[in-house]
Amino acid sequence: MSVKHGILTLLFQQQHHGYELKLELDSLLGINGKINPGQIYTTLDRLIRDNLVSSPGSDDQERKLYEIEPKGKDELEKWLLEPVPYYTSKEGFFFKWNCARKIHFEQEKNMLEQQREMIIKEVMELTNLKTELLLQGDENKYLLITGMLLHLEADLNWIVQVENRNR
Amino acid sequence: MIKVNNLKRDFLQGQQRTQVLKGIDLAIEEGEFVAIMGPSGSGKSTLLQLLAGLDVPTDGDIQINNKFLNKMNEKERTIFRRKKLGFVFQNYQLLSTLTVEENIAFPLHADGKLTNEKSKMINALIHSVGLEGLNHKRANLLSGGQQQRVAIARALVNNPTVLLADEPTGNLDRAMAEEILGLFLKFHRQNKQTIVMVTHDIFAAGFADRIILFRDGVIDKVISRKDSDYAKYLANFMA
Ligand SMILES: Nc1ncnc2c1ncn2[C@@H]1O[C@H](COP(=O)(O)OP(=O)(O)OP(=O)(O)O)[C@@H](O)[C@H]1O
Ligand SMILES: [Mg+2]
Repeated sequence: MSVKHGILTLLFQQQHHGYELKLELDSLLGINGKINPGQIYTTLDRLIRDNLVSSPGSDDQERKLYEIEPKGKDELEKWLLEPVPYYTSKEGFFFKWNCARKIHFEQEKNMLEQQREMIIKEVMELTNLKTELLLQGDENKYLLITGMLLHLEADLNWIVQVENRNR
Repeated sequence: MIKVNNLKRDFLQGQQRTQVLKGIDLAIEEGEFVAIMGPSGSGKSTLLQLLAGLDVPTDGDIQINNKFLNKMNEKERTIFRRKKLGFVFQNYQLLSTLTVEENIAFPLHADGKLTNEKSKMINALIHSVGLEGLNHKRANLLSGGQQQRVAIARALVNNPTVLLADEPTGNLDRAMAEEILGLFLKFHRQNKQTIVMVTHDIFAAGFADRIILFRDGVIDKVISRKDSDYAKYLANFMA
């Protein structure tokens, strides 16, 4: 999970102060999300240093506000369109997709297609490996790969379901 | 080796002539495992039936091991099929009044009595497809998935040089499909069997060396894992 891109997602929509960012990030992370505030502030410092985010001042309760810079928007879009490799998949892609939904990302379709392509590639490569392991009689490795493939199948089915509902 | 040249198949329905296969060219090496994928109605089963000599083309040639299937008469084709080919039908096509064992043994009767060795083979196959204990159950009392597994065992029983399978795992759950594909793989590697398998399932197609993508009576593309852009192609094709 990337705190950096979570923050960029939230600021893409509107300005926020730090505490708001924490609450929104928790909900973006889904059911078991809890982020420590320190992590948010160090990430914000880094984002400001790199010119992805700036601070236009404070709100009426003296809380420092943050807003996204054009460079930050570019970075967010680039990240959204990058397919997530399998080993970090699942949560990785679900989080990314959640961010895309949050900002009504108009390239969601593209994003799903690319992820699907990545999964299909993994499926074909793992299946190839699996058939070799089966023929060599390496039962443990064979079963492990079968398990990975079942996860990929679920992820692929999920993407198809999202695509169908988006139609 | 299977070689197909400008293969065409038309069907007449009343006055209407529809071209289902529109000129297919295809070469499959001996001992190769090939999957065919494509939308429903694109002509996959039609092609497989022609490869098996169960149907005759409107035009074009089919060669299997240097023999022209389309130049044989029906009797020659039947003999060739019995000796060399195994076929799994999309709709199983079991003999409903025969038992599991009798259905599987059916292709063997052509060369006379069942030897001990053949009986052993039948029992081994019943075990491999997970139908132990059902030897004497009549085919029409089986579930769809069980019938499919009988059809698979029947296709493998004479250890064919070429196995043609039409959606062989279409009615099986993932775990059972995995066992069946493993069985195919064993026959393929141990006996250098050539396999042509129609499937809509990418997880089954992954077992094959090459995948033929079929669209609307023509071959859209043949892909293999060695191509750099195969995943993109597959993903687009499946969309
Ligand atoms: N005997 C026949 N007479 C008339 N039309 C036929 C005949 N056999 C097949 N067709 C037609 O040919 C087309 C291709 O059928 P085919 O069974 O080869 O498709 P398929 O690719 O196997 O589809 P599926 O994935 O649904 O099994 C269909 O439109 C079908 O209606
Ligand atoms: Mg068919």
